[in-house]
Amino acid sequence: MQWLDDFFERKTREVAQLTSRRSALLKFGKILIGAGMLFPILPFDRQPQAAPGGHGGQPPQDEGDVNKDTTCEYWRYCALDGFLCTCCGGSINECPPGTEVSKVTWVGTCQNPNDNKAYLISYNDCCGVTACGRCMCNANIGERPAYRMGVHNDVNWCMGNKANAYHCTVAVALGIAEARPHA
Amino acid sequence: MQGLRSGAAWAAAICLLMSAADLMAGDFTPEQPRVAKLPAPDPARMYVSDVAISHIIDGRMHIVDGNTLKYVGVIGLGFTGLGRLSPDRREIYVATTYLAKLNRGTRTDEVDVYDSQTLKIKAEIAIPPKHAQALPYKGVIATTPDGRFIFVQNATPASSITVVDRKSAQYVTEIPTPGCWGILPAQRVSNRFTTVCGDGTLLTVTLDAAGKPSGEARSVRLFDPDKNPVYSQTENEVDEYLFLSFYGDVLSANLGGETAKIGEKWSVIGESDKQANWRPGGYQPFAFHPGTRRLYVAMHPRGKEGSHKDPAAEIWAFDTKTHQRVARVPGNNAVALAVSHEAIPRLFGIDPLSAGLLRYETAPALKFGQRVDGFGEDPILIEMQ
Repeated sequence: MQWLDDFFERKTREVAQLTSRRSALLKFGKILIGAGMLFPILPFDRQPQAAPGGHGGQPPQDEGDVNKDTTCEYWRYCALDGFLCTCCGGSINECPPGTEVSKVTWVGTCQNPNDNKAYLISYNDCCGVTACGRCMCNANIGERPAYRMGVHNDVNWCMGNKANAYHCTVAVALGIAEARPHA
Repeated sequence: MQGLRSGAAWAAAICLLMSAADLMAGDFTPEQPRVAKLPAPDPARMYVSDVAISHIIDGRMHIVDGNTLKYVGVIGLGFTGLGRLSPDRREIYVATTYLAKLNRGTRTDEVDVYDSQTLKIKAEIAIPPKHAQALPYKGVIATTPDGRFIFVQNATPASSITVVDRKSAQYVTEIPTPGCWGILPAQRVSNRFTTVCGDGTLLTVTLDAAGKPSGEARSVRLFDPDKNPVYSQTENEVDEYLFLSFYGDVLSANLGGETAKIGEKWSVIGESDKQANWRPGGYQPFAFHPGTRRLYVAMHPRGKEGSHKDPAAEIWAFDTKTHQRVARVPGNNAVALAVSHEAIPRLFGIDPLSAGLLRYETAPALKFGQRVDGFGEDPILIEMQ
């Protein structure tokens, strides 16, 4: 399935960069494959917990900051389900050292409150290293069951990599969408 | 010299203790370590899948006595293991991945077969390394009602179904199911399953005697995935399957024939519930008990795009014949619901915020019974004995 994985990865970027924005949005919704990982941790499950590293991993220290990328409320994370790579040695668009970037991924559409534009976000999983276990987040705007696999986040998006252990998830901005999503 | 004196004192003390032990030996039977046995199979026995995301290569299935919510055993699920009981409840099947070097190395996928009473492994059946590395939603692994074939959902991310022959303990075949997800076996025959497709139709696959596909048929549209998607969980009474949509519609289809037949549709949302925007939520958001025709739904108010996995503020009970709500009780953050298979069922739930298990009595009225917290890390799915 390597060819398919490469195809999806290439298409993600081509579609984002070359086609009209509305068309891109539609294609992402229908074709694309997503990153993010499962997890029963819920959007409001962010209160500091008694045992760091326990249920759901260590929560972020800063609560509710839409501009701080180590919090679940960061605007790009509107459909991210997994550990934040920004808490694991990576950055918003870099996987941590020693991992590899997932070959398949899905693209959410998130509103940036700073310019009020909607951005296409690719949630790549980072793969091949034991689960990070820090900064677990779970948001599901636009997420759908796996019969719409391209917009499903309860699956390991490292599945297309040879090294398919799940580590954490990045949120890479691919482009600007035309209309506000999920109004 | 201090050490010598201390040593002498210790020696004296030990002599005294030994003398005391000698004196009491007649009243004491030394213990021998041994292995406990599970309580006898009981309708309240729970099998709770836990994805253990912080160490996802080592998931668990917790075995719990639901009568008391006492922990009685565990099996390892491996990396994103998907578990399901056999129709006679004597075996547990787990479709999973093992990486040769824990977090790296060669990927091996297999269906592990455990004895549900001893929790010992009975068989390991090799399958293609494609099993869906997904949350253990109900319907990602299933069996034919005679127990002969086990079906496993695959994702590469292309969707297909692996067929395993339990009798010969062999992999049989892989059936492509592009754009569709989940396995809903026919119940009056043992050669058929249906899967839910991304265009809102149902695809039914019929098998030959060896478990290979002999025919496929697609239904008319059951739902509009763009406007009101259905959860992947289903419940059924024989071949009448029930589906629940994000906006609270209950849909039905008969999956017994070569082509799925769409049935009635109704809503759990009454006029008075619309203002507060009540919606279903969770990972196993409803339970159904055919004998009493009761449907239990995990509900939350102020529903919005993205809230479809939110935990329950309340649990609503419905009579599926009259479609009337017959009870509403506090939801205790439940994201998963299941009922015991007995004449007067008990309702069980998972509160993910505390890894807690919940038990409700359903008679004479739906009522919260007991909660115990701390069942692993990320419990997400309940299957009852």
